[in-house]
Amino acid sequence: MRGSAPPSARLQRPDALRLIARAFPDQPVVLTLGGTIREMLAVVGRRPNHLYILDSMGLPVPIGLGLAVGLADEPGVERVVVVEGDGSLLMGFSVLTTIGLLQPKKLVVVVLDNGVYLATGGQPTAAPATDFVGAARACGLRAEQADDAAALEAALGRAGHDDGPWLLRVPVGTEAPPTAFFLEDPVVLRAEFDRWLASRRAGGA
Amino acid sequence: MAGTAVDERSAAIIAGIEAIGPRYVLMLPSSTLKAVVGHFLQAPGVQTFPVPREEEGVGILAGLVLAGQRAVMIIQDNGIGNLITALATFPQAYHVPMLIVTARRGGLGEYNSMIHTVSEHAEALLDAAHLRYFQLDGHTPLDAWAPTVERAYEYAQITHRPIFLLVNLMGG
Repeated sequence: MRGSAPPSARLQRPDALRLIARAFPDQPVVLTLGGTIREMLAVVGRRPNHLYILDSMGLPVPIGLGLAVGLADEPGVERVVVVEGDGSLLMGFSVLTTIGLLQPKKLVVVVLDNGVYLATGGQPTAAPATDFVGAARACGLRAEQADDAAALEAALGRAGHDDGPWLLRVPVGTEAPPTAFFLEDPVVLRAEFDRWLASRRAGGA
Repeated sequence: MAGTAVDERSAAIIAGIEAIGPRYVLMLPSSTLKAVVGHFLQAPGVQTFPVPREEEGVGILAGLVLAGQRAVMIIQDNGIGNLITALATFPQAYHVPMLIVTARRGGLGEYNSMIHTVSEHAEALLDAAHLRYFQLDGHTPLDAWAPTVERAYEYAQITHRPIFLLVNLMGG
């Protein structure tokens, strides 16, 4: 699973983000850190179901795990999606063991793996030496790799239909389109997400 | 039969956490809080589970709170150093309330020489990070222990931030 599509065929991160947002337009989506957030804003705009984790490296998956566990019995929420990068996942890699222990059926972790810390200048991560799919499976998750747009759409469809917990590894390129800084107050971000989640719960499935 | 002071304080912490009514208790290993952790591992209606690192626990606890759940986390004070960045960048910045019940180590009677080097600075670390805490120790009347646990949880809700409850079962 360490092999990837040739660089020329790889998705770029904004392409993957567009597909993820399209696959889960009305489910909670926890988004990792600055560059990924700015690109998601650039491709689909600000969404109330998106929880923007501005600067908590290593925490997006644990936060999504807590949401997925806490919303397990909530009929208005079918999936909790976390969009994570390889660097941030590696900072809190132990969370895979906790996911395996708790088995939250609604959790879908999508790892956009570019092999570098792109936001800080492209320094290498340990991801090229790491079998994310194998590690996730060893911890008790369902895991797949999606190398291109069609494979990612299909994998997102399976993750939306079949119970998890899921980890989808998506090799992506390192193109970083220019994007504007996102300087919103975190309290506002949380309040918007809270309101959306409350309305989702009130409305039911 | 009357228990030891540690037994009585453990029972009071259990009563205080039960008054909160958590559905989830997150735990790291604690020798001094083993009776408390052991109780909740067996408690019906409460899902108690281990987290391997304190900052991972902060993330999971925050997610549970955002999902509308009542939950607490139990740690030892030698893990406070692991927590600071996680707390500062998410629960403090996003105003997510949470109660972290924290066993004190170090001090008189401590057998682990390496624990002093971090545990003696627990308050200083929390102060530097602007993290509010309350303390229960040998100076606290036993009948105040359980209500303080519950009030600390309520204080976190009212002030929209993480709150630590530092508990010294050995007395301090």
